Amino acid sequence: MELWNDMKLQINQQTYDVDVAEDTPLLWVIRDNLGMTGTKYGCGLAQCGACSVLIDGEVVRSCVMPASYAEGKQIITIEAIEQDDVGKRVVNAWVNHQVPQCGYCQSGQVMAATALLKATPYPTHEEISAAMGNLCRCGTYNAIEAAIDELAKEAKVEGTA
Amino acid sequence: MKKLTLVVVIVIIVGAVWLSNRTPDSPFAAQSAAVPSAALIQQGEYVARLSDCVACHTIPEQPAFSGGLKMATPIGAIYSTNITPDKQTGIGNYSLADFDRVLRHGVAPDGHRLYPAMPYPSYAKLHDDDVKALYAYFMHGVAPVAQVNHSSEIPWPLNMRWPLAFWSVLFTDGGSYQPQADKDEKWNRGAYLVQGPGHCGSCHTPRGLAMQEKALDESSEQFLAGALLDGWYAPSLRNDINIGVGRWSDEDIYQFLKNGRNKHAVVYGSMTDAYNNSTQFMSDDDLYAIAHYLKSLPSNPQLDGKAWQHQPTTVSTEMATQPGAHTYMTRCAACHGSDGMGREQWIPPLAGATSMLTHHDASAINITLNGSSRIVSQGVPDAYRMPPFRQQLSDQEIADVLSFIRTTWGNHGGDVAVDEVQAMRHDTDPASSDVIILQMR
Repeated sequence: MELWNDMKLQINQQTYDVDVAEDTPLLWVIRDNLGMTGTKYGCGLAQCGACSVLIDGEVVRSCVMPASYAEGKQIITIEAIEQDDVGKRVVNAWVNHQVPQCGYCQSGQVMAATALLKATPYPTHEEISAAMGNLCRCGTYNAIEAAIDELAKEAKVEGTA
Repeated sequence: MKKLTLVVVIVIIVGAVWLSNRTPDSPFAAQSAAVPSAALIQQGEYVARLSDCVACHTIPEQPAFSGGLKMATPIGAIYSTNITPDKQTGIGNYSLADFDRVLRHGVAPDGHRLYPAMPYPSYAKLHDDDVKALYAYFMHGVAPVAQVNHSSEIPWPLNMRWPLAFWSVLFTDGGSYQPQADKDEKWNRGAYLVQGPGHCGSCHTPRGLAMQEKALDESSEQFLAGALLDGWYAPSLRNDINIGVGRWSDEDIYQFLKNGRNKHAVVYGSMTDAYNNSTQFMSDDDLYAIAHYLKSLPSNPQLDGKAWQHQPTTVSTEMATQPGAHTYMTRCAACHGSDGMGREQWIPPLAGATSMLTHHDASAINITLNGSSRIVSQGVPDAYRMPPFRQQLSDQEIADVLSFIRTTWGNHGGDVAVDEVQAMRHDTDPASSDVIILQMR
């Protein structure tokens, strides 16, 4: 069962060749094999969301995602989030609201917020709470909600979405 | 007339006493113990794997086969015994015939009858050769461990063992497996493994009032038709579309038993132990034989209900006003997908999952509360598994999210009631000193 694959992964518009067992968690490949350490290891149980990345636009927990599942799909990590229009606006709003405290969970928070706003440009409070399940030990939830609220209002004014 | 009645009564009593004290025949009665060959011991080790002896006869952190596993039964707790060859506390003094009688007939050398927690109605079907090999393994391949057996906690009068002799006569078929002439060799091998050493029916066949399995082979459609046991629903292993393996190919069954996972499901509940200790060690030929046999068992449409039709739905934030969908988004979708399709063989789909199609909601509630246990494949523990939500979600939230899952994507398991969740939470509480449902390993 432990098949060692010469795997091609599409991460941030680049193709990477990696040689790993097919069930290696994607997070390990991103951090250990490829050295992109912006994505964090939190609980390792898909509970906290620190390891969130986008796969074909869907936010997934890379700590429980076998690398082989992501083969042939478009993976976006925090390193490239500002190359995305919505992602860039999210990062700016995060800076304006000074959201992070220790910052460990924040790359995951930004990924989740970006996925939410791409799918739902004007989220209600209900929708924000449904999409933002990521945990934050510092308790930055109010700042996160304020930042997303502002982005939603902005989008309405500018009609960007 | 009175005299005749008296004679009849005496005959019945004498007959009953004879039956309940009878030592069953064993083909090995006259054989003396010769030191077995290494090949025979090795074969025995394989039969022990097929039969999954270690699952019940071992507890965590203790030597294999030294017994002590507590099993909750409706009439009180019993404990598995030490089956290492220790002469004082184990089975070191057993002759081959003693071993055979206890294994295939449920009668210990001192004459006491075993509770059918020991699946001897299944082991009765073992071939003589496999019994011999198993004996050789336990006597010469297993190290003796001095571990005194724990006495059972069943109160009088139910603790009397002799009535089990009658149970045995009523509910066992007797005799080792006889191949069916109109079936091929592969089918017969599969039937032998499933009915005999594999004792699949112990969990997957519904039980009757006397705790007997309602069927021991494919002659009845109750055989492997799915059953509730120890807080889990052990699904049907018949060709049922919803609750069985009707949508699985032979290859899917092989993958499940060999790797613990396929695109339909991942082992969980009691099956994790069956996988960790037994099925992954079976040869490819044996696993394909099992698949071939199971796929020959017809479905039971009456029990199975209307066949599942996939209705693709992507759970989105717009659905967040429904409480179940909200919890699904925040707790489940990151792994099982917003489309409920899981991640290939790594994370099982909930769309079309047996536990979401059967009206029995035990498995769905149990795994949500308590998570899945560690799958060890070829010595390597899994990297990810279902986490327990006992501390994170309330009874209401679990009822809501399961009701949502069991009525979305064409799933028709139906709503889950809050009190069902509450009851399961209580019965499986690991912090309680009085856990009702013990993990059946």
